[in-house]
Amino acid sequence: MSIPGPVGSAELTLRGVSKAFGAVQALRDVGVDCHAAEIHALVGENGSGKSTLLGIASGFLEPDAGTVEIGGRKLTRAAPAEARRLGLGIAYQDYSHVLDLSVAENLFLAVAAADRPGYGEMNGWAEALLEQFGLVIPVRAAAGSLSLAERQLLEVAKALLTRPRVLLLDEPTTALGPEQVEHFHALVVEQARAGVAVVYVSHRLPEVLAVADRVTVLRDGVGQGTHEAASVSEKDLVALMIGRPLEVAFPERRTRGEGVETLLAVSELRGERFGPVDLALGKGEILGIAGAEGNGQVQFLRALAGVERAAGSVACDGAELDRSSPYGPLRAGVVLLSGDRRGEALFPVLSVRANATVQVLRRLARYGIVGRRRERATIDDLVRRLRVRMGSAEQPVQSLSGGNQQKVSLMRPFLRGDVKVILAEEPTQGVDVGARFDIYGALRAKADEGVAAIIKSSDPLELAGLCDRVVVMSRGRIVEEIPREELGERRIVEAIVGSRGAVVAGEGGRR
Amino acid sequence: MRRGLLPPALMTLLILALGAYAETSHSTFLGRSNLNSLLLEAMPLALVSLGQASALLVGGFDVSVAALMTMCVVTASFTLTPTMSGAALLPGALAVLGVGLATGLFNALLIRILRLPSIIATLGTFSILEGASLLLRDYPAGPINTDVTNTLTDGVSFVPLAFVGVVVLALAADAWLYRTRSGLALRAVGLDATASRRLGMATARTVIVAFVVCSLMAAVAGFYLAAEVQIGSPIIGNQALESIAAAVLGGASLAGGRGSFFGTLLAAFFLTEIDNVLPLFQQPTEYADMTIGALILLALVLYQAPELVARARDSWRRRERITAAGSEAPAA
Repeated sequence: MSIPGPVGSAELTLRGVSKAFGAVQALRDVGVDCHAAEIHALVGENGSGKSTLLGIASGFLEPDAGTVEIGGRKLTRAAPAEARRLGLGIAYQDYSHVLDLSVAENLFLAVAAADRPGYGEMNGWAEALLEQFGLVIPVRAAAGSLSLAERQLLEVAKALLTRPRVLLLDEPTTALGPEQVEHFHALVVEQARAGVAVVYVSHRLPEVLAVADRVTVLRDGVGQGTHEAASVSEKDLVALMIGRPLEVAFPERRTRGEGVETLLAVSELRGERFGPVDLALGKGEILGIAGAEGNGQVQFLRALAGVERAAGSVACDGAELDRSSPYGPLRAGVVLLSGDRRGEALFPVLSVRANATVQVLRRLARYGIVGRRRERATIDDLVRRLRVRMGSAEQPVQSLSGGNQQKVSLMRPFLRGDVKVILAEEPTQGVDVGARFDIYGALRAKADEGVAAIIKSSDPLELAGLCDRVVVMSRGRIVEEIPREELGERRIVEAIVGSRGAVVAGEGGRR
Repeated sequence: MRRGLLPPALMTLLILALGAYAETSHSTFLGRSNLNSLLLEAMPLALVSLGQASALLVGGFDVSVAALMTMCVVTASFTLTPTMSGAALLPGALAVLGVGLATGLFNALLIRILRLPSIIATLGTFSILEGASLLLRDYPAGPINTDVTNTLTDGVSFVPLAFVGVVVLALAADAWLYRTRSGLALRAVGLDATASRRLGMATARTVIVAFVVCSLMAAVAGFYLAAEVQIGSPIIGNQALESIAAAVLGGASLAGGRGSFFGTLLAAFFLTEIDNVLPLFQQPTEYADMTIGALILLALVLYQAPELVARARDSWRRRERITAAGSEAPAA
């Protein structure tokens, strides 16, 4: 469906844009233009400047140099309100919802003045609107009670509310399952056909290439040229993004003999949105959990860690886990890497050092006093091993890119010698290609030491490449198990689609 | 809105209960003259608390209000002298409001442009105003024009007109806050400033307006304080804490985005009632401070109670459902 070359007029033009955050040069003299009726993909590793570029285009950030033109008019001051006035709509990666307000109130605040209904008619108006976008979301519920997938779809709906000439999408599908992605893409294509200029940022190359007309690549804040989507292969793009051809994507799996010792035994586990689930996990095994979003995968994983309540039995290394609080599993060596990095996994304002050592401070302390030098020596080695890219170990974790943040949370199981099971929820969500491989490598290295891992991921390619075995969940139960010999992206996607049955999209798990 | 109704309901109940108790032991309490003086006495706190509620709504505090009120009294002792009359009083009154406006803009500048935490910024303003007041009047002096004070305290029967005005103002402000888009926008900014900015709202302007309104209300409160003391006194009261207490007792969230102007008004009257009742029982007024402190803590716990109860009930139900599910499929 890709159209060769831009057909419409330039709706969004960025020229010579540069931006530095402190000592880090996030963007250097970048130029991008997006035309009417075009879907323009913007790809690059995390930390390559994609989000910064969108921030500047939308007026949220002020560039150090360069200009932004929307619909032929120059953005004279850095203010989102100004960019909106010129016809720009943006769906932020981390949303723009006021979580304590209702869905209807959020939509009401987002809509342009001309289309705004009366205050009292807000709920009916919002319902009609969401129906128009094919979304089933209760309009009176607080935005904070929605699942991540619902929040993501609501964010896109909000961006479309202003009837933008230019639509910016920042990683809009990270929380969506394959079917939702398809539905979403149909919506994007429809917008482009109607003449909207769409800039689509994503780290999921196959997805974005399926709909994009042109692709612009960013690497370390520098543009790597704009290419016709039809004439460039995924492999070429990855090479442009990381600057070297990628040969081995996934770490090698060790061949395992039959009858490996069982480490984690789950029996009749039943929670709010899943169950009953029976599962046995062997030492050194990496098990993937696939499924359409909202089919209980997240809840299952969190129940294992004692974060969500569930009935049934979970035994680790022969001993029943005390799952009444997260503390029991933690003490038994079952570690959860939450998908909500900023909210649950990390202390965003604390340093890399503090985040890494927080669980092992007792070991690093002498007479109750933590030796800074001992702490640094402990993590220095890991920083090199996991290839954490940072200025200094004293840097706040929130100033790192998503991939490097994930690596910091991964440092914890490495520092603790007693970890037996790692439960990872979307370990590479919003993580760039380079860092992904480091994370895969780290997980595999842990597995080779005898640790078992369960990976919940919405990326079938990742599960196929990383895992020894993948189970597919639907409506809270395991409906299919894919052994290692059969693992492949297509096989997993087919299992997910085949097992979906009557599951309604958007019914997703409310947290 | 059920959560929003609890604070005003509780305040009304407490006002009536304390009033009834005081009346049974001292029949003069509900007398016309005592009611009139009680309502007038409540005016400064009522007005400044409404302002404080607006600062709390955007997630800030203004502790400079007490010093600003005193500064306004001191200013009035220079600009509203007893010898003046008629139209000559207008510039003097505007000068007092001007002090409020300037202070509000100064606070807003510190908070929005220099990005200081509001509590620290306004503490600084407090000290500056305190010093300035003492510089102008190092002891109470300079009587304030009685035409002005009489007009302010005018009323029908025992009801001061100002009381009617402040009730109407609070109700109108609540209607605005919960029934209009700009009110919703203000709450959104208080709840989540980043999301609001992304939605294209003028977050900076909202915060600036909220703090200017707070200072202007404190200046108006200063007029009523002047009517009470009737002389240019540099003594600063404890309205900063009491106004925050009133806003919180009235239902405001310390994190911003939630609150009720009418609830705040009721709470301000209740706090004044405590101050007014204690002397009737020959109790030292120090008890008033302790009572108010304890009440704030109690209110904060109590107002969260519906949420805590709902959460407990929710998790209890969930547990029952999970354990009772047996071998059947889980409840979808």
